[in-house]
Order: sequence, then C-alpha cells, then structure tokens
Amino acid sequence: MIHVSGLQSSMFSNSIQRGRGGVRWNSSFKPAPLLTAAPVRALIDEHISIKGCFLPPQSPITMCAQMQSDEGDHWEAFAHYNTNADGTVNLTRDHSVGGSYVGCEPMGLFWGLQPAPGSREGLRLRKKNVETPYVMLLSLLEGHVSPSERKITELAAVTTERWYMAPGVRRTEIRQDGVVGTLFLPPGPGPFPAVLDLWGMGGGLVEYRSALFASKGYASFSLAYLGHKDLPAPHNRVNVGDPYFKSAYHLLQDHRQVVADRIGIVGLSFGVYLSLRIATRAGVKPSCLVCINGPVGSTIKLTDADGRTENFENEQTHWQFDDQGCVSFKAMSLPANLSPESKVKLEDLPCPLMYIVGEDDLSASSMENANLIEQTLRAAGKCQLLTLLSYPGAGHLIEPPYTPNSRVSLWSFKPRKLYTLWGGHPAPHAAAQQDAWEKILDFMDSHLRR
Amino acid sequence: MSPAVPPVLSVVPSRALVDETFRVTVQNLPPGSAVTLHSLHRSDDEDMWEAFGHYVSDQGGSVSVSDDFCFGGTYTGKEAMGLLWSMRPVPGSREGLRLRKRDVCTPQLVHISVYGGHAEQGFAVRPPLASVLSERWFMGPGVRRVEVKEKGARGTLFIPPGPGPFPGVLDMWGGGGGLLEYRSALLASHGYASLALEYVNPGELESADIEFKYFETAFNIVRLHPLVSPDRVGFFGLCLGSIMTNYLAAESTAIKPRCCVCVSGVHLYPRGAAFTEVYQAITLKAHKVRLDENNHEIWRYRELPIPGDLSGKVDVGRINCPMLLVNGLDDQNLPTVEAAEDMARMMRAAGNDHLLTRIEYPAAGHLIEPPYSPHFRATKFIKQNREKVTLLWGGRTKPHSDAQEDSWKKILAFLQQHLYANNPPRAKM
Repeated sequence: MIHVSGLQSSMFSNSIQRGRGGVRWNSSFKPAPLLTAAPVRALIDEHISIKGCFLPPQSPITMCAQMQSDEGDHWEAFAHYNTNADGTVNLTRDHSVGGSYVGCEPMGLFWGLQPAPGSREGLRLRKKNVETPYVMLLSLLEGHVSPSERKITELAAVTTERWYMAPGVRRTEIRQDGVVGTLFLPPGPGPFPAVLDLWGMGGGLVEYRSALFASKGYASFSLAYLGHKDLPAPHNRVNVGDPYFKSAYHLLQDHRQVVADRIGIVGLSFGVYLSLRIATRAGVKPSCLVCINGPVGSTIKLTDADGRTENFENEQTHWQFDDQGCVSFKAMSLPANLSPESKVKLEDLPCPLMYIVGEDDLSASSMENANLIEQTLRAAGKCQLLTLLSYPGAGHLIEPPYTPNSRVSLWSFKPRKLYTLWGGHPAPHAAAQQDAWEKILDFMDSHLRR
Repeated sequence: MSPAVPPVLSVVPSRALVDETFRVTVQNLPPGSAVTLHSLHRSDDEDMWEAFGHYVSDQGGSVSVSDDFCFGGTYTGKEAMGLLWSMRPVPGSREGLRLRKRDVCTPQLVHISVYGGHAEQGFAVRPPLASVLSERWFMGPGVRRVEVKEKGARGTLFIPPGPGPFPGVLDMWGGGGGLLEYRSALLASHGYASLALEYVNPGELESADIEFKYFETAFNIVRLHPLVSPDRVGFFGLCLGSIMTNYLAAESTAIKPRCCVCVSGVHLYPRGAAFTEVYQAITLKAHKVRLDENNHEIWRYRELPIPGDLSGKVDVGRINCPMLLVNGLDDQNLPTVEAAEDMARMMRAAGNDHLLTRIEYPAAGHLIEPPYSPHFRATKFIKQNREKVTLLWGGRTKPHSDAQEDSWKKILAFLQQHLYANNPPRAKM
C-alpha cells in the first residue's frame, strides 16, 4: 500500500491541503523536516528567527507556539503558512495567511499568544517569577490546522527560552524604612543610572519590566504601594503617602551602585500620576519621566495631603459597564473627574517627560490627559520637555514587546467576578509595544546616560 | 557625556549556543579613548582562562568588537569572537591545560569586561569600567540527555526536542578516553540524535571487552532508537574515533553508515587485529616518538611512512558512503594529511573517490574542535601505561581557530546534506 503523502497531492492540485492526522511518513521516502529558532535563549525583547526546512515545497503548514504561565495556564498561538518552492518557511520573510495573526510577523507567535481553549476566563499573561524563563515549545504541523484539533501531525519542534533577566542581573528584595520593593542591578561594578518602576491600581509588586531594564544596564526598582502584604492594611487603598515615595527614591539614590543624579521614573496607569507627583512635590529631581496611559491626578479621593486615598471601590459613579458586565474605569481619569486637590502642578515639571497614549485605551482617558499635559506645558513655556507618542489601536497595557495583550481580564472576584476592559487590538497593540519600547530605551539612554 | 556614568558594555545575545556568534559593544566612552576588552572564564576544572584585546573608541565614544580593529592582546584585527577563541590559561596556571566542558547541562560562564587603557595584565586586581556575563551553551533547551548502558555499550545519547524521527550520529572521541559529551550535545542542538560513545578509559585500555562488535552494537543502538530514522545514521570521529570510523565504514558488514565525518584521523591499523591491539599498536613504536624543544612528545612520525600495502591499512576502496575528512596541516600527533593523500589515492584506484571530500587547513593542529574553543598547542595526556606526558598537538592559534570555525560550518552542511536532505533521485512516486 502506498501512503499518499501531501507532497504527491499538491503536485497535482492547487487547493489548500487539509491537515492529515496520523499519517507518519516513511522516513526513507521523506526527509525529516527541521525547525530551528535562533537564538534559542533570548531576552523578552529580542528577536527570534524561526525557520523550517526540508519540508515539501508549496505545501500548507502550521506554526504553533505553546507555553505555560507561572500559574499553570496554557497559552498558545498558531499561524498558517505555505512553504516556498525549496521547501522552507522563514518567519522573518514569509506571510501568515491565517491563525493568530496574518502577514509577515516574525514575532507573531509570541505576541499573538492567547489562553488555550478551555482556559479560565479573563486571563492576563504576567511573569511572577522573573528568575526563570518562559519555556516555549514551537512546533511545525502538517497542513492548515489549529492546535486544538484532535488529529494533528507534528513534523518538527524546537524549544526556546525567553527571559526577563539577563545573566548576571542581581535581584534583591527590599524591605527597608517601610519601603516595599524589589531592586534589580545589572552585572558589573557600576555605578548605574537608575529607574523607579511604578505600576497601576492592580497593586502588588510587578517585577518583570524592572528585570528587563536591569538587563539593559539600569539599576531598576519595582515599588509596591498598594495591595501588598508587607504594606500597611487595608490593601485596597493607597495607605502610603509622599514620604513613602520620597524614601523609595532616596533608597535608590543612596545606593552605592547608583548614579545619584541619573534617576528616572517609569509609570503606567495610576503610576503615571505617582510619577508626576513625585517629580513635582516630593522634593526630588528625577532626570526624566516615562508615563504610559495615566492621569495627571488621582482617580480616587485623597484622604490626606500626603496623597493617601480612599478605598478603590468606594466611588463607582464613573465606572462604566458594557453589555457583558465588564467594567471600564476610563471615565474615572477624565481630567474633570479627577480629585482636584490631587491634580499635579504640571508647570513645575522639572525634567523631560515622555507620555505614551494607546488610542484604544479603555481603562484610562489617556488622550485627554495627554492633551491637558501638552496645553499646560505649552502655556508654561515648557513644551520642549514633552515627547508625546500616540498609538492607534493600542490599549491601556502597553508593556515590553512580544508579549500578548489582554483586551479584558479579571479584575476582582469578590463579591463577585468582575472583568475590566483594557482595550487594544492584537496587531496594532503589538506594534505599539515594539515601537514604544525602543523609544523608551532611547529616551532613557539620552537622559540617563549622556 | 557625564563622566559620572560609566561606559555601557553589552553582549548580544547574552545566552547563546557555543557555535553562535555574539556582538560585543561598548558605549558612552570618551571619544578616542584606549580601552581593553577582557574575557574571563572559570573552567569545570577550576582553572581560569582569559583573553583580551586593545581598542580605541570612535568619535561617538563607541567600540564594536565585530566592526573595529583590535590592536593588541591575545588576538588582533577584526575578530568578533576573539575574546573566546584566543583564551588561554591566566599567568601562573598549571601547565598543559585543556578546556573541556564536562557538565553540558550547565553553560560556560564567561565574564566580559572593559578596562580603561591598554592593559596586558593585572586584570584581577583592578576594577573594570563595566562587566557583563555571557552564557555559552552546548545544549539547547528541550534537548534530552539519556545515559546509555545497553548491551555492554556505554555512552550518552542526546536527542533533539520534537517528535522526530531524527537523523542519528555515532560520536567517537579520541584516544584520550573517557566520555566527552559536548560535541554530541551540540549536534543534538542542531537536530541530530547523537550518541557520545565511551570506548577508551584513560590509561586502562587493556580491558579486552572492547571489540569492533562494540561499535557495531553502539551504532545499532542509535539506528534502532524509536526516535531515529534508521537509514539516516552517520559516524563522527576524532583522532582514534576517526580510525574506527574509517575501519567500520570500509570493513563492517553489520552496519552501513549513511555518511562519515573524520576529523584528524588516519586509515592506519594492523589488519586483522582486535581493537585493543590497534590501540597497542599505535602506542608501540615509541622509538619513533620525537621531542620538541620543550620535551613535548610528537607522535606523528610513529605512523610514517604510510605503508604501501594493505596489511597496515583500512581498505578504503571498499567504503561506499560519503566521507568528509577534516585535517590540520600542522597536526603533530598523527600524519593526517599524508594519510588523507594515501586514502585519496587508494579510493581513486578503487573508483570510489567521488565519495571523498578532503578539507585541510594550513597551520591548524590536531584538536579541531567546535568553533570559538580556545586552541591548545600542547597539553597533558595520560598514556596507556598511566604515564603523564605533554603531547604536542600543533597549530597556531589564529589559523587553528579559523579552521575550527570554518570546518564546523562545513561539517554541519555535510551532515545536513547527507542526513537531512533528500538524496538525488531514488525510486519513489
């Protein structure tokens, strides 16, 4: 009996071949295909070049990526390609014709990752343990299939590791002077320019962006300010004020391996307001600020002059719900809705500011805040300090590149499950992350190194 | 530029396979400043190895090792990987050292640093301007390592990630003996199921349980492995392993390799002898061993002149698979080039020389290893009678390193052509 291989059929017809499950081609008729990825161990923001060869020419294949998050959830991406006349596929050259992305997207298998079918709802991919890599299995499947189909034929596979931490980067937990954070130091004697890394109202201690900054040569300090067991209770409000942030800044500044007058602040979401507040009120002078999708004032009422806030859930007038019951916090950060006494005196901005807007941000009124910043700085004669980047189709969570975006994710589960909208469409959001990251690193290089 | 912020050193990628290149750059230096780039590695044997190069930054304050000239140090010129291949033991080290990774599951850690000025020594006592850590791996992620003790054969099998089936390689090292896994680990990272075979214990070759059948058994272990394509298995030998490769390819009726790579080998052995006698025969003729000016032993003359008749040689006219011979013209351990000449002559007479590809590298020595490994001109060796000597391998560092880099590319291309690609038209379809 002769096995009719996909190769033979495609010689006689031009139709797209359906994947054939279960046929194991006899190895002496058919060469084993080879799938390579280079480098196989990369930092999260590095390009990986994926190629397949010794495949049948002009045949349908599916590239597939699979991994497990730190929480054990399965994420996957896939794309449909046709091999070219010499039986190769090269993701830096070829176009996907379907799947998690289309077009020529060398890193599409990484930013196009989505929770595998059957996963819990509302997942967001965030690395908790930055000292281990994401281990991704890349495989080459026969035909145009989706990975969850029951009968698929895997032709070849390669494993890659993607790291947030370069070798030699040192991670230190900081619990000092009441300050709660994690410090990442690059390898080498230093001293290094530094970055204070602030996230949003989701709280906790988010380390991955800092780990990546350290891998680029910056001492980077992820700071927790709410929702962390080592911070004063209750955990659903900001219980630390200006002195806390000042202490954190000084901790960084006084570190013997940090260049005291080369410290920047990077903030996302509520972290934007905090960055601006620290720069204008805390009596410190950072060298530059990077602000992503956040307000110029607090979205929650303050309880004191130092910036402590009420509970996040107290004031829900500006919460907006879509027809699926998902909440958008966007209106909370409209300049008119911000707590007036918290609004930062932008005229006092002491240093260059890069403000990044995702135009499809459903969690913050980034565009409106960006406009306000621009108007205020212009009026104050300081608009040369401002670099404004705006990305169509990008959402709230503009993060390091080649990582998937979640358009919506689980926000809280008490008293009942609440999902929040972040916005952003996969391809434009990925493009925004890639471009913004390069520009952020350039900006930091200009103001923290030169 | 503020002098308060030190220069920025970067090595990309910071984690790589040992045969991948990296880009080393320094930025934020004063323009036109003299700096020294330095590499430091602590081996599995706890010896320190280093290399260094002298550079001058450009107008923008940058140095790029891949693009700029190095003016002095352990290497010169435009050498992207000079900080690796020109490494040598630090001053004060034991004599005759060789760098070999024993544990392939962990990377080689190399510290790359930049120092101010053009320094030749004292790197351990002054602080660098900047320093990063680079990981060099023999094993890619997902490669499976399996210890093999089957039917008397001993070794370690490395299997690439994926469903397979994979082409296979039987990887045979030299007379130094023991079990060296790193080449097999690297081959598996390139898609070959590779068995590193242990067949010589250092100094203890009297054990008569190694026969030619041992190699045939090992070959079949690879060939019959469920993840290996049975008709796509080749040999890869170095030195003594090459001798075995030649013999088995020509004389074995039990196994048929699809192709063979012989690095630094010869086709000489006492016809009809058992394997243990082969090894003994090589170590005879001690009177033909010469000494160089450092009392290092030169073994190449033991096998010369190449015998004219078949009594001392493999009948290479009977080989019927593609053979790639990789040799160094300055090999002081075996007369590999003379032997290759003779093999070519024999195969031409037999009509199978179309199977033979010879690559010979001027000024390269005996130990042609994976690229960017340091060069060892002479190292300590334990002879069969347990006597410790220093053997001269030959080669000059720069041409030897070029040979390693070039031969590896050619070896991988050869293996891919014969073990992965479709053969020219066979009856099918």
